Amino acid sequence: MNEPILECIDVSYAYLDKFPALERVSMQVHAGEKLALLGANGSGKSTLLKVLDGLVFPQSGSFTAFGEPVTEESLEDEQMSQGFRSRVGFVFQNSDAQVFSPSVREEIAFGPLQMGMGRDETLTRIDEVLAMLDIAELADRAPFQLSGGQKKRVAIASVLVMNPEVLLFDEPTAALDPRTQEWLTGLIEDLSAAGKTIVHATHDLDVLDRIADRCLVFSEDHRIVAEGTPADIMGQRDLLLDVNLIHHHSRPFGTATTDPVTTA
Amino acid sequence: MTTLDTPRPPADEAPAPIAGKTPAWLLQGEMAMCPCGCIGKRKKGSFVEKTLDGSAGLLRQVMFGEDIAERPGLLQRIDPRAKLLSLIILLIAAAVVRNIVVLLVAYAFTLVVAYFSAVPVGFFIKRVWLFVPIFTGIVVLPATLSFITPGEIVIPLWTWQGQPVGITSQGLTAAGLIVSRVALSISLVVLLTLTTPWVELLAALRSLGVPKMFVLIVGMAYRYIFLLLGSVTDMYESRRARTVGAVKHDKAAREFVSSTAGALLGKSHALSEEVHQAMIARGFRGDVKALKTFAFTRADAFYMLVVVIAAAVIVLGDQQLGR
Amino acid sequence: MHIPDGYLSPATCIAGYAVAVPMIIIASKKVQETVKVRNVPTLAVLAAVAFLIMMFNVPIPDGTTAHAVGAVLIAILLGPWAAVIAVSVALLFQALLFGDGGVLVYGVNVTNMAIIMPFVGYAIYKLIAGDSHLTSPRRVVAAGVAGYVGLNVAALATAIELGIQPDLFHTADGTPLYAPYHLAQTIPAMMLAHLVVAGFVEGIICAGTVAYLQRANLPLLQVNHKDVPLTEAEAALRVKKRISPWLVGGIAVGIMVLLTPLGLLAPGGAFGEDAPDELPLGDLGLNAVPEGMARLNGFWNSAVLNGYDFGGDAPVLGYLISAVVGILIVGGFVVVLVWGINKVARKPAATDPSNTDDAAHADDAGSRTG
Repeated sequence: MNEPILECIDVSYAYLDKFPALERVSMQVHAGEKLALLGANGSGKSTLLKVLDGLVFPQSGSFTAFGEPVTEESLEDEQMSQGFRSRVGFVFQNSDAQVFSPSVREEIAFGPLQMGMGRDETLTRIDEVLAMLDIAELADRAPFQLSGGQKKRVAIASVLVMNPEVLLFDEPTAALDPRTQEWLTGLIEDLSAAGKTIVHATHDLDVLDRIADRCLVFSEDHRIVAEGTPADIMGQRDLLLDVNLIHHHSRPFGTATTDPVTTA
Repeated sequence: MTTLDTPRPPADEAPAPIAGKTPAWLLQGEMAMCPCGCIGKRKKGSFVEKTLDGSAGLLRQVMFGEDIAERPGLLQRIDPRAKLLSLIILLIAAAVVRNIVVLLVAYAFTLVVAYFSAVPVGFFIKRVWLFVPIFTGIVVLPATLSFITPGEIVIPLWTWQGQPVGITSQGLTAAGLIVSRVALSISLVVLLTLTTPWVELLAALRSLGVPKMFVLIVGMAYRYIFLLLGSVTDMYESRRARTVGAVKHDKAAREFVSSTAGALLGKSHALSEEVHQAMIARGFRGDVKALKTFAFTRADAFYMLVVVIAAAVIVLGDQQLGR
Repeated sequence: MHIPDGYLSPATCIAGYAVAVPMIIIASKKVQETVKVRNVPTLAVLAAVAFLIMMFNVPIPDGTTAHAVGAVLIAILLGPWAAVIAVSVALLFQALLFGDGGVLVYGVNVTNMAIIMPFVGYAIYKLIAGDSHLTSPRRVVAAGVAGYVGLNVAALATAIELGIQPDLFHTADGTPLYAPYHLAQTIPAMMLAHLVVAGFVEGIICAGTVAYLQRANLPLLQVNHKDVPLTEAEAALRVKKRISPWLVGGIAVGIMVLLTPLGLLAPGGAFGEDAPDELPLGDLGLNAVPEGMARLNGFWNSAVLNGYDFGGDAPVLGYLISAVVGILIVGGFVVVLVWGINKVARKPAATDPSNTDDAAHADDAGSRTG
């Protein structure tokens, strides 16, 4: 396999030095893959995404992106920071936090302008990304006039406009209506087909085979306990029960084999 | 993160009005809603409920303003910087005028400008008068008495310790002056904000030298008021669902306000941490970069000229008419 | 307390801007130095909170309403400079978008509510909180009294600004050009409403919030209290002392007494020489305000010397009597307030608006990982 573009080695992180979120996590992200982080609420997948985006920094262990170590100090360097921020984009779970500008157009312009892109090019790109996500008519709206699904589209537009190589999604389909969920699933497939690397955290297993070709499973004590293709993971009912992704009353998945023990 | 997901924007239920199709009910009622409302009459029901109801009105009012700002009209065509500068020039002119007639003529002009700027005149008058000028009028009434404003008594009322007490001409003039000046000043501000989209107003502030950081904070605050309002409404509703009867009373409502302030601050703090991360993730390093640029056209220059002449006419006319 | 456009003369408005603009610039610098970019969203969100707090009009028994400003609360949580920015932003927002408070008078409104109020409140909070530990009930009392006094001092400043208008700006025949009431009327009118009601609203919000954060969200409280010991055990070396309501009441009375001579401006001309020195603001770390006041004082004085007969039937004595009565009332209320808070602070607070959101920062951190 090709060289990893993002790599965590033995990463541990605890909020306020008291509440552990990651325990000695090692993982790699390869160019062009679709990687799903699976786990129950509070298992550490969001925190891992924030590590991968250089928003929180491991208290022990190391994180390397595109061959360079990413630390609080290394991101102080403007060139390093700009390079990293433009290559990795993050769609937050909470669109309200991500969409912070007074209008949709300004929101989408924020990233490119921060990256030093010219005004004309920014404006052209905004129109293109709005058209691509089918939200051109929202351009001059204020965020409080948007529905949850529209806000999610704006948040995605504000990241896509920077054309990052790696896209991180935190619970992308959470709290969305079925049609928007389906649209987003399709979008992730399209982006992947266009060569983007996708990493997303989810506990929605229904469409896993479409939006992932590799999965990492987090246990509730913040460790990675399994790795495999969606079919592998979905077949291990005991594992899914153990990490609190399904419960005893869950129906078997359509994609899973009836035999709980897979041959991997 | 889950704590921040719950608030639903009211916009979900009420789709934004489409330009030019604002229903009639939007033009009436709720306009007295004033976020300060330092003084007002109490009605039945708890004040929290009323404030929260008012917040829905606030939202409608803001959306209606944005709607007017997008209509074709006189002031909508003017560069927002020109509008902001002219607002300040005219406010200063209004502040130095000492003749009621001049103030009233200037006020009549704001109505004409409102008409040509697609602002419904009836709505405009109500929006301006309903709160501050009427309140001002009531408050200054006692000031017309010779106790407070001594002078030539035109309407004697009674005598006190041998001295006649009554309404003085100076008192009446003073009351007229302040009410008409307040009405004119508010009309000028409302005209600006009704005909300028909020985003452009912010951009204009920035290009007129208000620090970018300050403007960025104003813009973000504007964005989060509605989100936090949603949180407060949710907290109130979940509390009401768990309380029987008591919330009607203002005492319980007062307790609600002080305990909500704490929860609201905690929530806000967590939200701001996350917003900060979202900004960093898109390359924010403390330097604000603006999208909007303005082109100052000939029409804008002409408008500024008209404004300066109008201000000069106001001030000179005032001096001609005497003080 | 929001003064609309039209109530104040342009000269007063300029003086307001002369105080407000430098203070906002200093505040922006101070705030950026301390925590850098992180403060942008924090201040934005706090400005939104200040706006919402001002929106909640609490009804008072005489049928009118009063609202809190939140400036003291923000000063306690993030320091007075942060409060300057947050409240200024909220005020700008109100002035431009809702015509609430004016554009020309913006500087004056900022001076009252975004500068005087947080600094005075914060100084009082510091004074009363002393070296008590962070979870001490004493901090709750300190916050309550700080909110009460901060709001009242701001109201007093507003009353003075309004009250000097008719004496300074009038036509030859004595017609007032702007707000028509004299100090002898504006001070009692403003102070009565604020001393009796609005001050308590602000005080209760400050005390209630600090008490709430002590049990539910200590990390937020620690932001501006880095070196303060957390618990009693940590502060064990220091002597524990319960606050005497009388002491606190005394301090409040002292402040009001110090401020009283300001009001004498109305009936006499004595203010010109000595009043700015008596303003305790300078001692409280507020250096720019006295400068502004001095400027103001300059032109008050010149106008006073123009020989205007002060008119009105408001003798010095009447003013002093009302001041004394007012001070006794505040003193009494502060004593009762401190006593009450002392009592309340002992038992765990009963009501929480939302169980889901209260779950301390611990939960917050936990949920963030999910």
